Amino acid sequence: MSTAVARRAVSRLAARQVGRGGLIVLAVAAGMSALVAATYESTMGTEADAAALAALAENPAIRTLFGEPVALDAPGGFTVWRTGTVLAVLLSVWGLLATTRTTRGEEESGRWNLLLAGRLTLPAVLRRHLLVLVAVMAAVGAAVTGTLTAVGTPVPGAVRHGAGLALAGMFAVALAALAAQVFPTRAGATGATVAVLGVGLLARMVGDGVDALAWLRWLSPFGLLALTRPYLDDRTLPLVVLAAATVAVGVAAVLLAGRRDVGAGLVADATGRPPRLRLLGSVPGFALRRLLRPLTGWAAGVGAYFLLIGVLATSMTRFLTDNPRFADLAAQAGFAGLGSVRGYVATLFALLAVPVGTFAAVRLAAFAAAEADRRLTPLYALPVTRSRVLGAELTTVLAGSVVLLTVAAAATWAGAATVDADLPPGAALAGTLNVLPVVLLCLGAAVLAVGWAPRAVAGLGALPAAGGFLLQVVGDSVDAPAWVADLSPFAHLAAVPATGPNWPAALTMTGLALVGAGVGAAGLHRRDLRG
Amino acid sequence: MSAPAIRTEHLTKRYGPVSALDGLDLTVPAGEVFGFLGPNGAGKSTTIRLLLGLARPTSGRAWIFDIDAADVAAAHQRLAYVPADVALWPRLTGAEVLELLGAVGPGVDRAYRDELVERFALDLSKPAGTYSTGNRQKVALVAAFATRAPLLVLDEPTSGLDPLMEREFRRAVADARADGRTVFLCSHQLAEVEAVCDRVGILRAGRLVDVAAVPDLRALHRTEVQVRFAGPVPDLDHVPGVQAVERTGEGAVRFTLSGPPGPALRQLAAADVSAVSMREPTLEEIFLDYYGEDR
Repeated sequence: MSTAVARRAVSRLAARQVGRGGLIVLAVAAGMSALVAATYESTMGTEADAAALAALAENPAIRTLFGEPVALDAPGGFTVWRTGTVLAVLLSVWGLLATTRTTRGEEESGRWNLLLAGRLTLPAVLRRHLLVLVAVMAAVGAAVTGTLTAVGTPVPGAVRHGAGLALAGMFAVALAALAAQVFPTRAGATGATVAVLGVGLLARMVGDGVDALAWLRWLSPFGLLALTRPYLDDRTLPLVVLAAATVAVGVAAVLLAGRRDVGAGLVADATGRPPRLRLLGSVPGFALRRLLRPLTGWAAGVGAYFLLIGVLATSMTRFLTDNPRFADLAAQAGFAGLGSVRGYVATLFALLAVPVGTFAAVRLAAFAAAEADRRLTPLYALPVTRSRVLGAELTTVLAGSVVLLTVAAAATWAGAATVDADLPPGAALAGTLNVLPVVLLCLGAAVLAVGWAPRAVAGLGALPAAGGFLLQVVGDSVDAPAWVADLSPFAHLAAVPATGPNWPAALTMTGLALVGAGVGAAGLHRRDLRG
Repeated sequence: MSAPAIRTEHLTKRYGPVSALDGLDLTVPAGEVFGFLGPNGAGKSTTIRLLLGLARPTSGRAWIFDIDAADVAAAHQRLAYVPADVALWPRLTGAEVLELLGAVGPGVDRAYRDELVERFALDLSKPAGTYSTGNRQKVALVAAFATRAPLLVLDEPTSGLDPLMEREFRRAVADARADGRTVFLCSHQLAEVEAVCDRVGILRAGRLVDVAAVPDLRALHRTEVQVRFAGPVPDLDHVPGVQAVERTGEGAVRFTLSGPPGPALRQLAAADVSAVSMREPTLEEIFLDYYGEDR
């Protein structure tokens, strides 16, 4: 068997592991872009207000949150503004997760030992996996460019936007591969990559909002996408910079792979330490112990973002009261009521359901994964029932979600306090807790999946929040029929603290969540454990 | 009389059309060391998963000390388990894993646990992610033997251990037997089962083929006899108890002998025998007989 055959076999293996996810990401990216661009005329009307446009581009707050709006008067530019950041983040997150899963994760599980006993070296196997992921990203970029061209936007802009999205995804892949060489665990590599990309996103937001720090955008993949300014300037240099950075990071990852032992990282695992016996005395204690580390990471990310939201509260509301045309535009894009501090934070608090719901889904997915790789078997062999193990997990994840909501409220309040915005802590907390029913829906869906479709916990669990949010964004942008928009839980969230909570909707969601959790727990009770 | 440690009644598990375990009726009395033998895929691990309530039976039932195996909160108060392929939380050290399993489990004899850690030469300060297969197995073995549970369910517990550690394992089983505990030992290593078990159940393709005390199992089977003759070779074909007569060279014969040896010995005594050797088959060979038949 020649080495070429071995290389093809490894490429096929990599393609099998990322193919389905890649297709979904491609469909979402191309579909959202096409939908928003194609319906631009019907939703935006034709008399775009040039003066208000210019004012919008000048406002630091809107630039910070949604990226610098360029060419909003054209379908292409509007699409980039509406979907560009969301899709860049989606591609980056999927790319980094797929990379650490198929490289460090496979290595950690020991499956790569078999692969590496063959004729390919560790750098060669890593390179095959990276090339496959890069090819997926290129396909996504080409699909976005293709659909944007097909709906009639100018080719240069479509090319810049598609290439930018693809490069952002490729950069995340390369960065995750590099982290996977440095850290010996998949979780460590994923966490480090998320942290670096998160800082990159914040750098773009700060660079967009603060003129003196505009240069920061050259240091962030998301900033470089913004600097491309598709459909207006159609610049190429930022894309060249991003491509060069991607190649450099990817090459560094492959080189480092040749300098380390299989199964090890450049950062060595501690070889020994005294025992830390805290929280090992009970099933709920152990669930809490496993939750604390990831919760700290999520809390740091959510806290940083909402601190920024708080700081921007007055600048944003002042701008929107001065420019009613843009309050309308924002409402069209799903951000109504931005004119007052409370309306503004209420709108942004609704976004909070996405990260917190995803957090809940991801934690229960980790629980299902622990069952599948038999880490839970020693626990299930002890005198504890499945319901008790699940109940402990569910309770701690719920508590963790409430902590995240509280952290977001505290951060927003602290940020708002620095600019003397009128936002008492109680109002902030009421606003963040208002999205708890959506988080409960995520938990209920995740438990349902634990019982009946344990391979799909993360996807099903995140569906009410992430899927519901995408549905709302698309629905608002394209004037979808009411019953479609009503499927999204976000359609039923009241703008707390601007108004009171929508109690019937909150109770309905909580009830649905309880039903999901109950049916899921029954499923877990009657099925065979995996592993 | 005390309740049997394990009792199953027509225990059956099907995965779709595949029958992993087919109507298992088994009783293991308290205090016995029971070996559960079978090749890979015979249904040994399926049986254990059913006994532990990790999998649900398609039909039939199982009891642990007369407690329904599905009632894990009660049944698991009386058992400890070592899985075949031990998976641990990679960031917990060995000491932390033992602490967790001890605190949630049916009670620990800490002095005995420390002694076992010593005997198995286990470094408890390392994160479980850095342990070899054998070390993970040792953690699970120490955790199980150190409980006060009257039943130990061990699934291929020595597959990753070196011979020195296997010896420690046998010592620990002997300790458990001396304490009156029941051991259910799943294995495909006959030497291990032969060395530590009182009785053996043999499983093939999801069915229990035989259950026998270890000495009985061997007695069921024939002795292999090799004889060398200085003079003419007598006719042994029709002597009662003699089977599979085979000439292995000039004046050399090999045959198997079962039942009373008198007739064969009389026939040999009448001939001019220059050398004779008799050998008991190993369990290995008995085992191969069981599995060889239907192939």
